[in-house]
Amino acid sequence: MVKKLTLSGILIRLVFFALAIYVLFPFFLVVINVFRTANDIVANPVSTAGMKFSNLSNNLKSVINNTNFSFWSAFGTSALVTFLSIALLALFGGMAAWVICRNKTKWSTFIYMVFIASMIIPFQVVMLPLISTFRDVGKFLGIGMLQTFHGIIFAYLGFGGAMTVFILTGFIKTVPFELEEAAAIDGCSPEGTYFKIILPLLKPPIVTVTILNGMWIWNDYLLPSLMLGHNGKVKTLPVAVQAFVGSYVKQWDLILTAAMLAIVPMIILFLFAQKQIMGGLVDGAIKS
Amino acid sequence: MKSLFQADNRVRDEHDNDSLTSGAQTIAHTGPFTDRAISLIPLIAGLAVTFAALILDFTGSKLSFRGGLLIAGVILFFIGLYLYPTKKHHRAIVNIIFLFPLLFCFVVTVIIPFGLGLFYSTTDWNGIRMTKFTGLGNYITMFKEQSFLWSLVLTVLFVIVNMVLVNVIGLSLAVLCTSKMKSVGFFRASFFIPNLIGGIVLGYIWQFIFNNVVLKWTFETFGYNSSMLSKYNTGFLAIIIVYIWQYAGYIMMIYITGLTTVPSDVIEASAIDGATAVQTFFRIKLPMIASTITVCTFLTLQSAFKQFDVNMALTNGTGSVTFLGQYLSNGTQMLALNIYNTAITKNNYSMGQAKAVLFFIILSIVSMLQVHISNKREVEM
Amino acid sequence: MRAKVVSAVMACLMASSLVACGSSSTETTAAGTSAAKESGGASSGKSIRLVNGKIEVDSQLKKLAEMYEKESGVHVEIESMGGGVDIQGELKAYYQSDNMPDIFVCGGAADFDNWDGLLQDMSDQAWTSDTEAAYKDGDSVIGFPYTTEAVGLAYNADILEKAGVDPKSITGPESMKKAFETLDSKKDELGLTAVIGYFAEPVNLYWSTGNHLFANYLDSGLARDDSTYIDMLNDGGKIDDNRFADFATMVELFNKYSDPQLLVSGTYDQQILNFASGKYAFVTQGSWIGATMTGDDAEAYKSAGNFKCGMIPYAFEEGIDTILTNSPSWWAVYKDGDVQDAEAFLQWLTTAPAQEVLVNEAGFISPYKSCTYVASDPFAATISDYTAAGKTSAWHWLNMKDGYAQNYTGQVFADFAAGSMDKDTFISTFKQVTASAYAG
Repeated sequence: MVKKLTLSGILIRLVFFALAIYVLFPFFLVVINVFRTANDIVANPVSTAGMKFSNLSNNLKSVINNTNFSFWSAFGTSALVTFLSIALLALFGGMAAWVICRNKTKWSTFIYMVFIASMIIPFQVVMLPLISTFRDVGKFLGIGMLQTFHGIIFAYLGFGGAMTVFILTGFIKTVPFELEEAAAIDGCSPEGTYFKIILPLLKPPIVTVTILNGMWIWNDYLLPSLMLGHNGKVKTLPVAVQAFVGSYVKQWDLILTAAMLAIVPMIILFLFAQKQIMGGLVDGAIKS
Repeated sequence: MKSLFQADNRVRDEHDNDSLTSGAQTIAHTGPFTDRAISLIPLIAGLAVTFAALILDFTGSKLSFRGGLLIAGVILFFIGLYLYPTKKHHRAIVNIIFLFPLLFCFVVTVIIPFGLGLFYSTTDWNGIRMTKFTGLGNYITMFKEQSFLWSLVLTVLFVIVNMVLVNVIGLSLAVLCTSKMKSVGFFRASFFIPNLIGGIVLGYIWQFIFNNVVLKWTFETFGYNSSMLSKYNTGFLAIIIVYIWQYAGYIMMIYITGLTTVPSDVIEASAIDGATAVQTFFRIKLPMIASTITVCTFLTLQSAFKQFDVNMALTNGTGSVTFLGQYLSNGTQMLALNIYNTAITKNNYSMGQAKAVLFFIILSIVSMLQVHISNKREVEM
Repeated sequence: MRAKVVSAVMACLMASSLVACGSSSTETTAAGTSAAKESGGASSGKSIRLVNGKIEVDSQLKKLAEMYEKESGVHVEIESMGGGVDIQGELKAYYQSDNMPDIFVCGGAADFDNWDGLLQDMSDQAWTSDTEAAYKDGDSVIGFPYTTEAVGLAYNADILEKAGVDPKSITGPESMKKAFETLDSKKDELGLTAVIGYFAEPVNLYWSTGNHLFANYLDSGLARDDSTYIDMLNDGGKIDDNRFADFATMVELFNKYSDPQLLVSGTYDQQILNFASGKYAFVTQGSWIGATMTGDDAEAYKSAGNFKCGMIPYAFEEGIDTILTNSPSWWAVYKDGDVQDAEAFLQWLTTAPAQEVLVNEAGFISPYKSCTYVASDPFAATISDYTAAGKTSAWHWLNMKDGYAQNYTGQVFADFAAGSMDKDTFISTFKQVTASAYAG
């Protein structure tokens, strides 16, 4: 065995490294070029010539202070929207899944089927009427749904609802019903049963849906670009990057710096929660 | 709505510590009459406030607080409902309160727009209003539009190429990553990382690579001065390269999960029988992960079909192509981007909507096929 | 039961705080951004928003907004969109989402048509009597002009002089070809990378070919009110065969003598930087590059000797002797917005302190008669020479169909440049594409 491994092992390692270079090369380019000036980058994009910390700080300064990008506000918006959306999805999704799962009535089955069926609907079919509905209804009721935080979080609750309910329902089914019966005999109210007994058990699937929803919402571009507009007061990071790149005639030093700023939070998060993220995404894929 | 949940917790806490709290004792031990009053006050107040807000809406009032009023009214109503002293219906009330928030968001953002979308696709809707029905007019015009047919063809091609390539590469990576080797963890993680980045951002990074790094190289070695992104065929290739880069690591992870479920005693047994590694893979492992292959195939199919962000950031659909005898300028524009441009850029909302409905129909057929195939497999097993 | 009461109170409190959050989140963000931008000065709380299509003057406009806020207390938010952005598409999206700015840029008939009935008639404004360049729709004035731009074949006067080429001698295709050949033969001693910096990149720079270069087919050599070719074009996409063939010959010449590294996939920055560094004798851009040369590229321009610049007509036919000057775009006021404050701001822009910033810092050539400032722009002198001699034509390309360059012809220029089509195919494809653009 040991001898066999040496030859094929070297080959495998070589293939591995080649692939790793293909995968990591773009990141490498971003990292070296944020330390360089636009003219150096245009002269030779794959080179370490002219790398200086002062260039990085200049690039960062011009990107962060750029009014079309407004990094901190975009970062804050993205973080707030993502956090509130995933938290509310976990909360409301768990509640709804529990009701659907533990009530074998025609209605709950119907609602469940509608949730499942809606997962086929691509965003493109609903996006145009969605904007007009939000605009018209919002105007009528005096609740601004476009260009607002609560509007976009509301939309994410709607779009993420089906998948969240689906995954959580699948898990609640495996929780023995006897637990709840015992609680009821002890005089526990239905809402108490859910929050005290079921919810703590839901931790693993909630981690899964939270990761799935979080990755999607953080990186989503089309929904926020339509709902918030490219240059609106409220904009998420992907929209800000798009607005920033679109507004300049390819100043790569700044664009790559902006890209780096958008990537770094995700990478940091990944390094801390590598297992959970990989596991969560895979679980989600297999279940749906 | 979130407050409701916190209030709920509070209720339970109070319940537990009943004997410890001493304040408000007088209200605590009152008869069913006061109970009902306590619940009826928010119930009625909620209804009243809601109606007041709606009246303001219908009378065309411009008062900015009417939105908040409406929300407050609805929340008050639900609080009243929750507090209503009834043993018999309490469970039903809790069910309604639990279901309402998510279901309401879902209906407003998905179901209603979906219905409206189907309806609008048969009208001359311009995003604001409609004046007449056109029946299937949009659907018929759509198929006479060469640029749309090209997008359709291109998308199908893209889906097929990626379904094969992403799965082959993802599976090979998975096999490599499950081999007994040091630093496998590092490779797994690095192959997976591209999947964390949004399509817009990585699209721009790759645009830099194609327009600067690759262009410089082709210019210096071959004297070729066009970027890969400027021709429809090389641009298409570029989108495929980026898509694989982004997606293969993800598919790899799913295959790894599949491969680790293959029982090790089966593999050991085959090794004892003298099977080579290659034979073990094709004869034993591959059949055992058939269901994973189905999952991954449809996963790539669906996601490749919906490709939008990378397409937009990388080429925005440009590139010329001669198709059906017509010179087209949307050589790399796939379906999702075509829908977006039809509606938003060309301001033809009803046509964009009709294309989106077709998009939906194709995707539903694919999904039904998937369900059919995996059901069949389960029966066979 | 006390528990229920407490929980009810709690819930009410939380509900009201949620409502407050919901309604105030928009206000706080609005306040946040405006507070960040306010640099002292009493704010009346009024705020108007302007969508600017010239990203290169973003900082100058913001300076003006600040000046105006100090003076009047009205906050003006400047939202700039750049060359690659489909501004009208963005504005349509704003309209859809009920987020219209009070003032926004419109580039010509197609743009103004998008907003038919939604724009304020400004004919009662004082500035209208001070300019000829306002955009009019019948009797009503709906576009505020803010600068004048010129399209011509820009050249580096120093290099031409060194090479012994007199720009005045270029009066037609023959002489242009001869000048190019002379320059090409002396490329090394002149330090040139290429004779001309011309590109046909279709994704971000379609406007340079599809709008500005093609504009010469429509107007070069014509009187300002002569609309022969634009009328033909707008009549179902008709192209004049002879004139277009001559135009195509000139484009072919550009393809041949342009910098191959720039030609197909180059960038605007690269083009202007190289011209400012004296690496091209000609460049296919208009007067607006002057601001870039003296701004972002000032260092390179200085080390190239701050050479003199000029413009010659795109003489693709013998006898073409005009350059194209016009207001490149106008600012329109949205009828349902804050009309009064928007109009007051525009009126203020025509006053001396504002004009000073626009001319001296933004490099604008003022369309207002009362303006006494003269830009130090490298092209300002040329433009005033042509204007004084009456040798200018209009920009009728502004009346082309919406998206014609972006979605149709930009790509054809790119294919011609890349060499994937010859001149005859270019002409036939161009006509075919134009016909289909105007059919739909």
